[in-house]
Amino acid sequence: MQKRWLSMASVLTAIALVAAACGGGGTSGTSASPGGSAAGSGGATAGGEIIIASDLPTSGADASSGLPTQNGAAFAVSQLSSYKGIKITFKPFDDTVNGVHDPQKGAQNVQQMLSDPKVLAMVGPFNSNVARAEIPIANQGPLAMMSPSNTNECLTQDFPYCDPKPAALRPTGKNNYFRIAAPDTVQGPAMADYILNTLKLTKVAVFSDNETFGKGVADNFVKRLTAKGGSLTNRSDFDWKTTNDFKPFINAAKAAGAQAIYAGATSATKGCIVRSQMAGILDVPFTGPDGIGDDQCLKDAGSNTANMYFTNAAGDAAQNPDAASTVAAFKQAYPKASDLGAYTFPAYDCAFILLDAIKRAIDGAGGKVPTRQQVIDAVQSTSGLKGTVGTYAFDANGDPKSATMAFWATKGTPAAWTFQSQFSVGQ
Amino acid sequence: MVSSVANARTRFIAGTRGRFLNATLLLLIAVALIILATKVVTFGPAYFVQILVYGLANGSIFALIALGYTMVYGIVELINFAHGDVFTLGGFISLALLPVFGVSEGGGVSGAGLILPLLAILVISMVVCAVVNVTIERVAYRPLRHAPRLTPLITAVGMSFVLEGIMFLWRGPFNLHYPNVLPTTGIELGGANGPAITFKDLAVVAIAVVLMIALTLFVERTKLGKAMRATAQDRDAAELMGIDINRTIAATFFIGALLAGAGGMIFGLYYNTITFDQGFTAGLVAFTAAVFGGIGNIQGAALGGLVIGMIQSLSDGYFDTAWTQVLIFAILVLVLVFRPTGILGMRVPEK
Repeated sequence: MQKRWLSMASVLTAIALVAAACGGGGTSGTSASPGGSAAGSGGATAGGEIIIASDLPTSGADASSGLPTQNGAAFAVSQLSSYKGIKITFKPFDDTVNGVHDPQKGAQNVQQMLSDPKVLAMVGPFNSNVARAEIPIANQGPLAMMSPSNTNECLTQDFPYCDPKPAALRPTGKNNYFRIAAPDTVQGPAMADYILNTLKLTKVAVFSDNETFGKGVADNFVKRLTAKGGSLTNRSDFDWKTTNDFKPFINAAKAAGAQAIYAGATSATKGCIVRSQMAGILDVPFTGPDGIGDDQCLKDAGSNTANMYFTNAAGDAAQNPDAASTVAAFKQAYPKASDLGAYTFPAYDCAFILLDAIKRAIDGAGGKVPTRQQVIDAVQSTSGLKGTVGTYAFDANGDPKSATMAFWATKGTPAAWTFQSQFSVGQ
Repeated sequence: MVSSVANARTRFIAGTRGRFLNATLLLLIAVALIILATKVVTFGPAYFVQILVYGLANGSIFALIALGYTMVYGIVELINFAHGDVFTLGGFISLALLPVFGVSEGGGVSGAGLILPLLAILVISMVVCAVVNVTIERVAYRPLRHAPRLTPLITAVGMSFVLEGIMFLWRGPFNLHYPNVLPTTGIELGGANGPAITFKDLAVVAIAVVLMIALTLFVERTKLGKAMRATAQDRDAAELMGIDINRTIAATFFIGALLAGAGGMIFGLYYNTITFDQGFTAGLVAFTAAVFGGIGNIQGAALGGLVIGMIQSLSDGYFDTAWTQVLIFAILVLVLVFRPTGILGMRVPEK
């Protein structure tokens, strides 16, 4: 079934590609200029225009997370209309096909950005698998990418299980990809600290879905937990496709006196079914990574939604007093409640970092439009830049030197995820 | 002379090899049991009792599915691969019916008021599954009754994919939440930290036991049951005696799917999750249970289901869920090697 579904999706993708290629042909016809490689060779004219593009899933089911993110980036760019006589504009791209984010569509968007010499940097993508398809193409530009929400550690760091390796994503050997979200390797330890220090619990039972993300995050959780004086009561790595009965695990946790459960899983890999089955057996806090922080998880947990916690790889701008005026201005420009999402201000910061880098690159180029490589170099040398949800600097891999990790918990009836606290983590 | 010596020699070698094989297998089983025993001791008796309770509930569900496999095999010697998906369909239909009858988690009717709506949903789901299964039999198996054995086997696989496809299109690829409506309170054995038998466990086992008793009575006491036994024993002779073979076979599919549909609903109620393709694994495990008990043998399927359910819970509880499937199918291999006719065998006349 899965394969048939895939082949159907790929046929539709192909159709979409053809359609989009035709559209792309049309626009490149109108914007074609004799100096097509001007930006590549160093932008000879003063004045001119720079475009910051974005690639996010902004239609279909994914739009609920993609559109608010795009709003943040668009708003940031609108705050700086020109610098030293050079116009700066924003151009959004959509990477959904049939309402779902699509790596091929994303890659094709990046190709389109590369064909427009005015595009010097992009915000996005939203999803890690889209990033995997886009980085190699943008890398050959080279085009600076700045993602608000990619958390897959293999995009930037080399671990034995990474496939493809980060180096394989960068054919030119130089880095062009940056992100401000903390990688998945930070999430597990963050929750371990939270359980020990904030919830004041020490005995934790851990399970995972035995997949790359889930098992990895559970391993990192356990390492930190035991290193900081907590103890692991019992652990199971479920074959989530065939396992429906989690009660033996829950009972083993109960027998061993577990005070909390850590789920190295996502709501798509039955992570929150465990919460539902805990009803009447073990009533302790249920914790996990950002993979369980969605509505599907609350549905799966049924009526047993109290006392659930997850870590989110981005901060909350409402907690930063320095960002209050920016938040207020944004709300004036985008008044609807649905305009604002968890990744709106992280995306604002992404565009903010790019704008800061472009300004420095323009200065460095003597007030002229800089090259794409000069923009990348400027992003790399960002240091101590204060945004709405964090303070930014990047290491050689493109990871933030410090990232913000937020904790969310269930509150109210019917239960909804609500912000608890956040802190900065160093790499 | 020479050949007889050679024969004796081969026999001797085969004998030693067989004995060696037997000894190795027995050793493996013994090692597994010793590990299990030490783990049972370290985890304490309360946990063990709790695992047995889960095993019983698990086993009841497998037994309900296994019965359908065994009855169909007994009468037409066909492994109905679509049976596992009929089981899933029972879960999907009952899930859709729950809100219609005003049953929802943490709201709507509760307590004793739950019994009637749940029973109504159970009956409707069972009947819908039964009608679907009879339709499958009419469309995909009956026209092929005299075709080579492999042909209906292939159409069975095909029907399995058709059912999975329908459920996929209906509710999507992800696991669905099945409301946790059965009370999770119950009898506590040995205090608050001891094992507990909840109403949820009891309800699952009770529904399964009642249905199995009803089935046994039906097969042994009614005219149609007698016709089914006769058809299973010798189809041609039964036909000559004036038994309507097509009607009898359809009835077998009908009853098998009634049980599977009930199994699908109690699976959802018990585990609170269903997926469109869960019937594939559940079906294979239930099929193993049917073979374990002796395929074609009704008591055997019930026994096999219970034993496999126990093994699954013990493995989940004391080893690792990753080993559970391995263990179950290793048992299937062992049973087929040492007792090809299963634990209770095929000798019981009603098959």
